[in-house]
Amino acid sequence: MKISIVTTVILALGIAAGSLAQNIATTRNAAIDVELEPAKMARVDNSDIKRKRAYPMQPPTIPHKVDQYQVDLNANKCMSCHSRRRSQDSQAPMVSVTHYQDRDGNFLADISTRRYFCQQCHVTQDTVKPLLANEFVDIDEILRRDSE
Amino acid sequence: MSSTRRDFIKANAVATAAAAAGITASSNATNLITTDTKLKWSKAPCRFCGTGCSINVATRDNRVVATHGDIKSPVNKGLACIKGYFLSKIMYGEDRLTQPMLRKTDGKYAKDGEFTPVSWDEAFDIMEVKFKAALKEKGPRGVGMFGSGQWTVWEGYAASKLYKAGFLSNNIDPNARHCMASAVGGFMRTFGIDEPMGCYDDLEAADAFVLWGSNMAEMHPILWTRITDRRLSNPHVNVAVLSTFEHRSFELADLPVIFTPQTDMAMLNYIANYIIQNDKVNKDFVSKHVNFRKGAADIGYGLRPENPLQQKAENPDSGASEPMSFEEFAAFVADYDEDSVSKLSGVPVKQLRALAEMYADPDIKVMSLWTMGVNQHTRGVWVNNMLYNVHLLTGKISEPGNSPFSLTGQPSACGTAREVGTFSHRLPADMVVVNPEHRKIAEKKWKLPEGILPDWNGSHAVKQGRDLKDSKINAYWVQVNNNVQAAPNLNGETLPGYRNPDNFIVVSDAYPTVTAQAADLILPSAMWVEKEGAFGNAERRTQFWHQMVDAPGESKSDMWQVVEFSKRFTTDEVWPADILDANPEYKGKTLFDVLYANGQVDRFPLSDMEEGYANHEAEDFGFYIQKGLFEEYAAFGRGKAHDLDDFDNYHQNRGKRWPVVNGKETLWRFKEGSDPYVEAGSDFQFYGKPDGKAVVFALPYEPAPESPDEEYDLWLSTGRVLEHWHSGSMTRRVPELHKAVPSAVVYMHPEDARKRKLRRGDEVKIISRRGEIRTRVETRGRNKPPQGLVFVPWFDSAQLINKVTLDATDPLSKQTDFKKCAIKVEKA
Amino acid sequence: MIDLIRRYWRTISRPSKYFSLGFLTLGGFVMGIMFWGGFNTAMEFTNSETFCTSCHENLYEELQSTIHFTNRSGVRAICSSCHVPHDWTDKIARKMQASKEVWAFLMGTINTQEKFLARRRHLAENEWARLKANDSLECRNCHDFEYMDFTWQSTRASYQHSTALASGEKTCIDCHKGIAHRLPDMSGVEGWD
Repeated sequence: MKISIVTTVILALGIAAGSLAQNIATTRNAAIDVELEPAKMARVDNSDIKRKRAYPMQPPTIPHKVDQYQVDLNANKCMSCHSRRRSQDSQAPMVSVTHYQDRDGNFLADISTRRYFCQQCHVTQDTVKPLLANEFVDIDEILRRDSE
Repeated sequence: MSSTRRDFIKANAVATAAAAAGITASSNATNLITTDTKLKWSKAPCRFCGTGCSINVATRDNRVVATHGDIKSPVNKGLACIKGYFLSKIMYGEDRLTQPMLRKTDGKYAKDGEFTPVSWDEAFDIMEVKFKAALKEKGPRGVGMFGSGQWTVWEGYAASKLYKAGFLSNNIDPNARHCMASAVGGFMRTFGIDEPMGCYDDLEAADAFVLWGSNMAEMHPILWTRITDRRLSNPHVNVAVLSTFEHRSFELADLPVIFTPQTDMAMLNYIANYIIQNDKVNKDFVSKHVNFRKGAADIGYGLRPENPLQQKAENPDSGASEPMSFEEFAAFVADYDEDSVSKLSGVPVKQLRALAEMYADPDIKVMSLWTMGVNQHTRGVWVNNMLYNVHLLTGKISEPGNSPFSLTGQPSACGTAREVGTFSHRLPADMVVVNPEHRKIAEKKWKLPEGILPDWNGSHAVKQGRDLKDSKINAYWVQVNNNVQAAPNLNGETLPGYRNPDNFIVVSDAYPTVTAQAADLILPSAMWVEKEGAFGNAERRTQFWHQMVDAPGESKSDMWQVVEFSKRFTTDEVWPADILDANPEYKGKTLFDVLYANGQVDRFPLSDMEEGYANHEAEDFGFYIQKGLFEEYAAFGRGKAHDLDDFDNYHQNRGKRWPVVNGKETLWRFKEGSDPYVEAGSDFQFYGKPDGKAVVFALPYEPAPESPDEEYDLWLSTGRVLEHWHSGSMTRRVPELHKAVPSAVVYMHPEDARKRKLRRGDEVKIISRRGEIRTRVETRGRNKPPQGLVFVPWFDSAQLINKVTLDATDPLSKQTDFKKCAIKVEKA
Repeated sequence: MIDLIRRYWRTISRPSKYFSLGFLTLGGFVMGIMFWGGFNTAMEFTNSETFCTSCHENLYEELQSTIHFTNRSGVRAICSSCHVPHDWTDKIARKMQASKEVWAFLMGTINTQEKFLARRRHLAENEWARLKANDSLECRNCHDFEYMDFTWQSTRASYQHSTALASGEKTCIDCHKGIAHRLPDMSGVEGWD
């Protein structure tokens, strides 16, 4: 019994090595039992250049480093530039008006506490290439196609 | 009727679009949106986590063009997390699977062949051959299926029916086994009925929040916005965050607690002890509504029976318990005093006291929240029980703000895996396969011959992996999950099982995952709004959505695949002859006939469908199959405290929380006045138990199966990150999400790195007794482990951390502990 | 005991009978150097990371994930780089102040993490005020405005440095609070609303 299990395993592994040479898992591109060299640690794009949004409601991605920015019970580093009061000195875009609404859509005097943790919706972008192309089509492109 | 619905949808579209633009909509403000740029807006629950946010989805020309949080949803009120905002892109990865692919050599199926595109007919042909061969040789136990908490309600229901009632095999289990099984075990053991008594409304009512092994800031971000809202706008509110390492949720913590892995059990017994010692037991509540029981201890670790640890256990896999008195319980937890628990857990006495006081103080409404830290635990069911202990001792339960709340990982772990009962031991509405009464009910509801349903517990997730390796299951179907990446001990169990020459593995997916790569046949699946669906979230809220766009190529929904495949089998081939002889009317019928065209599932005509939405399955089968499946399934729960609303209503509302009785949802179960199932005059009633009383369990602290030692000197915890969903098969194809977190890293303490002469960015090997991976060191990232512990996320298909993890499970729930094993880190 | 002191005093107060003036002057000079060296070594020791972190372990923990600990070029700051003036008189003045802090330590004013967190805003304000008053001198000991090349800075940084900092309207600490430590509760602090 034990021997048969062992043989099965050996057989299985043998076959695994052979058949898994065909790498269809496109985000991996290697046999499952192979160990790949891990990608170099990427750097955050710090260019400060605004990026086009995929649609108007998409939260803009962050065009700069936020490494070690403190956002907690004590302080909110992001708001020290992006709040309404700070935006003139900082020349940073003020957070959108939606951020001044409470859960029920009422406008508040200050930023809503439900929006306090910026990085739940806004993320930095590393200077890496996408793993794969994404064929999402922008609404402008669809409208252009429609008008043709 | 249908014109009213159309008007509703139209008005809705304008309202949501206007709201998104920040403009208050008047009811006919259509001039704001010119005809040229008009989008069709529909609602759908988010594809990702168990929070169950509602999303507005814009379509045009059969494409999804925008998504945002639904302002009408009580769950998320217009918000979505970063993943939710990018839902628009998840279906458009360039490598979507669009036709079936079979491993072939010289034009014929071969286990070691190359993937070759085939037609659906050819795909089902070979599947038919392989499944029939397995059934013939090994009987019902020779086939298996691994499904998902991301199945829609009717996908899970259709699959469960095909296996349990068609193939007569209970070898079907969802990946929710890796995720929620311990929570289910906890509920069933303490309350006799599954799923939380409270709801998200507790988040606006509690004075204290305690996170037990949950990083909500990343894993349940929208619920976290509600806690943040509550905490920051009400200074008296306190948040305690308990974890084995510091993570983003600590940003909001008034009481940040780092404890030694596995010692949560001791801390919970300490809290129970504190409550008793300080005379804070709610005696009235306890005397009326609580029983005390002592559970069997030393129950093993769910490893293979020949494993020495398993053999050493005194009561392996035992969930037995015996009654005890309150005084005996008090004496039992008396051992867990502050000094010894502080020493064991590494938590300062002061913090322990502050934590216990949150529960003990009768004026503090406390909400406990937990997920994988508690559930993925070799004593997961126990820890769930112990969490209920402290809420029951104080009577802090089933009332706004007093809420032990088990969070859910997946979008329909509750709605599908648990409620539908796609687990290997379950039937719908909390019934179990080993109970003859339950089987009889199911046979009746399913219009099946009496005595036909199998009475044995099928193989659970980890057992299925072992069965494949041991050639016990030979035909295996995987849907909506990526288990080669997700299951523990990949080298030792999963991969050998998939590549075992005795086995035929079918994987249904939208993308070529590593699981697809390990398969023999790949079936292309329609995903999310490419099909009509329903999910049930963590607060018992069932939500529906329509098919909004067509799936690419020949992709078909998982439900279509299951139902279509059932046409390939006749009852004579798979059902016992004696049952057929006794019930000749079932003879010569296909499984499709007896399971789906049974006069119930095929009851609703296509004309019942809402206009303006396609429905590829219904159009194929000729009847409104989703409605038929749902209504047949809903009959199990109606009148049994699991009541669901009528099918059509769910397409109009933002979901309702069951039990839905006379159209009214239930917010707090077991509480008179709020739960219609509680009898008048009883105040509280835990009606899942025959005597209406919940159980407080006396359970000891027991150590983890594998702890760091001389050689393997670090704890390894695995988990998710905010930007990626599970194994990343959807989110890694969204460029913005990939660029936010491109690769997995090992988060470690700078001192641990320095001791090993490592620096940030160094390539290292993470090595356990089972395998190794290569990754890079991160010493200043979002997770800050204490010395002695490292964290590696599992989303990265290029770094399969489950080669390293241990396949030990909770012996009761069979859920794997992905949070604890011993490893070493070496420079690569 | 008193006898002993008296005897020594007598010896010291008497003019030298045995040694030449030259020897005594030179010897005094050498002794002075030795004493001075010892003093400075002792003071340098109190400036070392080992000395600071022997008590402020939690702050060292916080520092480790910041850019002032590890960075591209490996030039790093230790506690005294920012918290102790480099100029001698200021340094001595700061050390005198520090003895008050030693007293607070001995009295147990801040002997637990909770007490530290409760006082953290006050302690931080002291440092901000000191740096504000000396125009962020300890920052500028390394980060000399004269030698900043704005073309190597990010757009945001070069904008702020070429305007507010250049004009003297702002000093480093005005914007760069909490760069090496966690911040205290910042409510009401200018620029952190």
